[in-house]
Amino acid sequence: MNPDRLPGPIAGVMDRLVDASAGERLVVSVAALITAILLGGIVTLVAGVFAECSTPMLGTFCYNPLAVYRYLFLAPLFDSFVLQETLKNSALLLFTGLAVAVSFRAGLFNIGTQGQLVLGALAAALAAVWVGPAAPSGPVGGALIAVVAMVAGAVVGGLYAAIPGALKAYADANEVITTIMLNFVASDVAFFLVSAYFQKPGSGSVETRDVPAAARFGPEIALVMAVALTLLITYLLWGTAFGYDLRTAGIQPDAADYAGVDAKRMVVTSMTLSGMIGGLGGAVWVLMSVGRWVNGVPSLGFDGITVSVLASNNPLGVLFAGPLFGSMQAGSLSIDFQLGVPRQLVGVIRGLVILLVAMPEFFRTLGVRWGMGGGR
Amino acid sequence: MKAIKRLALLAVSTLAVGAVVLIGQLFPNTPAGELANVLDAGYAASSLRLAVPIAFAALGGIFAERSGVINIGLEGLLIVGAFTGVAVAHWTIGDGGVSLGPGIVLLLVLAALLAIAGALLGLLGDSLREIAVRGGGGVLAVAVLAGLTVALAGPTLAATWIAFYVAVLVSGAFSLLFAVVTIEYRADQVIAGLAVWLIALGAAPFASNVIWGSVNSPGVDTLGTWTVPLLSQLPAIGSVLFDAEPVVYFLLVATPLSWYVLTQTSFGYWVRASGENPKALDTAGVDVRRVRYAAVLISGVFSGIGGAGLSLGRVGNFVGSGTTMVDGRGWIGITAMLFGNYNPFGAFGASLLFAALDALQFRLQQLNYAIPDSLIQTVPYVTVIVVLALVGRTRTPDAAGEHYDSDED
Repeated sequence: MNPDRLPGPIAGVMDRLVDASAGERLVVSVAALITAILLGGIVTLVAGVFAECSTPMLGTFCYNPLAVYRYLFLAPLFDSFVLQETLKNSALLLFTGLAVAVSFRAGLFNIGTQGQLVLGALAAALAAVWVGPAAPSGPVGGALIAVVAMVAGAVVGGLYAAIPGALKAYADANEVITTIMLNFVASDVAFFLVSAYFQKPGSGSVETRDVPAAARFGPEIALVMAVALTLLITYLLWGTAFGYDLRTAGIQPDAADYAGVDAKRMVVTSMTLSGMIGGLGGAVWVLMSVGRWVNGVPSLGFDGITVSVLASNNPLGVLFAGPLFGSMQAGSLSIDFQLGVPRQLVGVIRGLVILLVAMPEFFRTLGVRWGMGGGR
Repeated sequence: MKAIKRLALLAVSTLAVGAVVLIGQLFPNTPAGELANVLDAGYAASSLRLAVPIAFAALGGIFAERSGVINIGLEGLLIVGAFTGVAVAHWTIGDGGVSLGPGIVLLLVLAALLAIAGALLGLLGDSLREIAVRGGGGVLAVAVLAGLTVALAGPTLAATWIAFYVAVLVSGAFSLLFAVVTIEYRADQVIAGLAVWLIALGAAPFASNVIWGSVNSPGVDTLGTWTVPLLSQLPAIGSVLFDAEPVVYFLLVATPLSWYVLTQTSFGYWVRASGENPKALDTAGVDVRRVRYAAVLISGVFSGIGGAGLSLGRVGNFVGSGTTMVDGRGWIGITAMLFGNYNPFGAFGASLLFAALDALQFRLQQLNYAIPDSLIQTVPYVTVIVVLALVGRTRTPDAAGEHYDSDED
């Protein structure tokens, strides 16, 4: 837990991941995903024994894992509502996955993407409501409002992430704990601000006024923006001197320091960048999904951790992992309504994926044992 | 330097509380006066009660990290303990009356499975005789404990206690899984710890939904309170220390016991050596692997006590919505561990400080101040951040977070 110590394990993982060929990383991720899905299936089957239903399979099992996975992975193909939800979730998870990837690449465990997203979303909603009346009507005005909202979201998300960054850099406060604490603080503060000052009149739930309809957009535009951002971040990390410094600071802090990188400033900068992407994700959530800020923001930030870890913190890998979990999140509503399987199952699978990706050694051992040549 | 800073921090917070009380006594009609009215024996009792999950997580974390395994999955282990306790209690004390039998069978099966897992992992010893004696002894001890509980308590209370034991074993088993993943398969400890938390965060509400059709459980019986005759009549401290929940007594015993084990026994010496200089310990002929397994298992057992104590101690139900009823207490426990500088007494004191703030937060909500509840709720979290920033870098064990390979394989 020592701030001094944490880079050690990260460096360890990074070494292993960097040493391992891209192919091996891919094998570990795919193997981890398949294992997590198998384990999730067993969990589903076993949980079905304890559930109550009218027509259990084989006398005891209430849940059919195959049906569950059909909804989680294939539903977008045959259900247009789920397809829409999948596209939306995929876009959002691209943003949060990228946010987490940037910080993890810099050797910082930013677990606070959730909080940065919550406050970024609030800022975006308020900005859109505020500039709405002043903007010209028509699509140009709408685009203008959307841009203002997204800038507001990115700025607030970035500033909120700069707090744990500065605490880490200048006071040695462990960022895992501070970001988790700031997640709690963010949801409480957002709840307070909205209920006290920005409550939508006449509404029973805690929510802001609706953003102007012209500023809203569909998942297609959000996806285009997310993919463009992915490419931009890829270029930033691998094509610029700043990106080189950021990655070096993540893998070899001492080497970066020796090369003249201001380590403290790099911590704050990379956390801020990560938070800006998270806040941007919050703005997209407001403009695309709900049209206002409403209490009970989905756990997009935590899913972003899974997406990033599964993608080996590689932005291009996020392009695949994001939609995968986007489909699972969208399908989780269906398994709840259609099959009666609690949607929190997806949360279990999320944790299993992270656990399994973290143990490449396990798959190496399996590979050796099965003589598949996977071992080295 | 660090020690001075820490002491100063403690002194300042104590002074602040003292000042509030004094001002409250002198000017009873000011906000400080009202605040002081809140700080009574009932407040002290609730602080101590709220400290239980935080402090047990912190004590467990101390063992794990001092042995060289950073366990940041404590929050998840607390959730597992809290959920399992309520689930088993609800199962054995269902609507159709108490059924002690299945609970005891479940407990013994779990104990046997843990013993088998320990034997398979090579943790119980080298010779077959050792393995049989230790594994069998462990199961027998659990059986004796269950038997004593049934003999001493009425059927309903005994069933609640059995549920408590099951929760501790399940949390221990979960920590064993974490130990296998990090020690055997060299998983990154921080990521694996995050995974333990996220799995529990998903699994507990999932299982609640499967069993009860809701992320929150219905109410179950609690463990009640233990009242010490005569001593509980003492003014002020009587009602705080001698009329409390069983887990509060457990904590008051576990803190000095942990200190004693860590600093005065050879096992404690091994734990510390395993975290500081595993090579030397290995050279001295002690199995670093076994020491680390044992230390992580202790963190699981302690978290199980803390988690089940939280759900079965007073409220008697499990809340699985949002961040569950554990609500960050494991993370606060980690902070308490750092604040207390890996010393059980220090960690206990820090836990008590955080719990006191939490209790104050509840009291302030009842007072109906102009400050909204949602802002008051942030007080413990903000304090954690401030404390972390002030404490800053701690002296972690040298080998914490690193795998240790003996060269024998």
